[in-house]
Amino acid sequence: MVLLEVITSSFNTFMAALSETVKLAIVSLIAATILGVIFGLFTVSKVRILEWISKIYIGIIRGTPLLVQTFIIYYGLAQTLRPYGFQWKQIGGPFTAGAVALSLNAGAYMAEIVRGGIESVDIGQMEAARSLGLSYGKAMRKIVLPQAFFTMLPAIINQFIISLKDTSLISIIGIRELTQNGKILVANATARSMPIWLTVAIYYLVICTVLSKIAQIVERKVSHGK
Amino acid sequence: MENKNLSEKPVKISVKGLRKCFGELEVLKDMNVEVHEGEVVCLIGPSGSGKSTFLRCLNKLEEANGGEIIVDGNNITDKKININKVRENIGMVFQHFNLFSNLSILNNITLAPVELKLMSKDEAKKKAMELLKRVGLEDKANVFPRQLSGGQKQRCAIARSLAMSPDIMLFDEPTSALDPEMVGEVLDVMKALAKDGMTMIVVTHEMGFAREVADRIIFMDGGYIVEEGTPDEIFNHAKEERTISFLNKVL
Repeated sequence: MVLLEVITSSFNTFMAALSETVKLAIVSLIAATILGVIFGLFTVSKVRILEWISKIYIGIIRGTPLLVQTFIIYYGLAQTLRPYGFQWKQIGGPFTAGAVALSLNAGAYMAEIVRGGIESVDIGQMEAARSLGLSYGKAMRKIVLPQAFFTMLPAIINQFIISLKDTSLISIIGIRELTQNGKILVANATARSMPIWLTVAIYYLVICTVLSKIAQIVERKVSHGK
Repeated sequence: MENKNLSEKPVKISVKGLRKCFGELEVLKDMNVEVHEGEVVCLIGPSGSGKSTFLRCLNKLEEANGGEIIVDGNNITDKKININKVRENIGMVFQHFNLFSNLSILNNITLAPVELKLMSKDEAKKKAMELLKRVGLEDKANVFPRQLSGGQKQRCAIARSLAMSPDIMLFDEPTSALDPEMVGEVLDVMKALAKDGMTMIVVTHEMGFAREVADRIIFMDGGYIVEEGTPDEIFNHAKEERTISFLNKVL
């Protein structure tokens, strides 16, 4: 069978590509989570300027495609900053640019998730903490965010899966991750388009399924302790 | 209650000309109240009269729009005041308990003293156990709030406030969300506190409690103090028409 033959013969290149995909996803998701918490807190803060900054950021990201965002960051930024001696090459090339784009993109969605999670916690929890003399920040950290986390977990995991698949779009700037690897293989063997793209799909399916399974287990554990 | 000669005691809370609006709606119009150390004041009145809002202004959960609130010598309407420091000394008990649902009962109580570095973890734990004993919940230290009944939750909430050793306790309808059979256990804890000389301001619909425990009753309606006096003066010899008609409805 051709599919099996493709899978076995391309195994090594796909393993390298898979590792790029996973690296890109992990780096971006960690950064996106940090961005999400920061901008989520901005959105619920009573400080107007922070609220605005956050709303503009989320608005721009949600209102433009990831592909365009990637181009702006990789090509646009490089061109604009070239007079100042900046090149993506200096800081890791397309991989870094892709990670930045994906982080900013997922970060905006995470911010919305964090906002929703915080707003789902009864206002009385914050009031009780404040009435004991805890500062806003301490009350957030010790009481509100831990409770919000349980509510947010399913949405966070969903965003992880979306972002994992979005790494596929980053292939466009020349990172040899799963999709780019597929393109290269097809370019060298045009008659095998179907088995090669099916192979790519299988890799995505496997990592996404593994991730959702892990997520389910974590979710069950966490809600058990609740 | 025994005669405490309260007017000779220092003033703990002094409110002058307090105004509070929610948008267009003025819920507190020129409130003037003085509370002395060790005094138990019960705020009664129809819902929407501003009792809870008044109480929440006293620890700045609501920001006053006008007037002056002085708690223990600190003017909390002053923007520069460190409100967190003032709040350490004012306990508050809420209608819906607001126990921290992510923490065990013990950690609910020890959180603030430990976080605010008033006690070590061990000291806080020791104090928490004493307090739980005092409110009859020493066997519940390691359970989570959702495993407690309403009355138990409220007693735990009182213990949580007491862990900060406050001078003043505010109670915002502490028994209104409870099943009738659990009201008594919470009121008993409050009575014991009053007896120990705690300065207390209680928004309540429990007229029996107010009559028995309060040194002074304040009847509010429409954002004003309509009438105030000893329980005897209010419950047996009310002068204002609105007070009499309210009491006729609830007694």
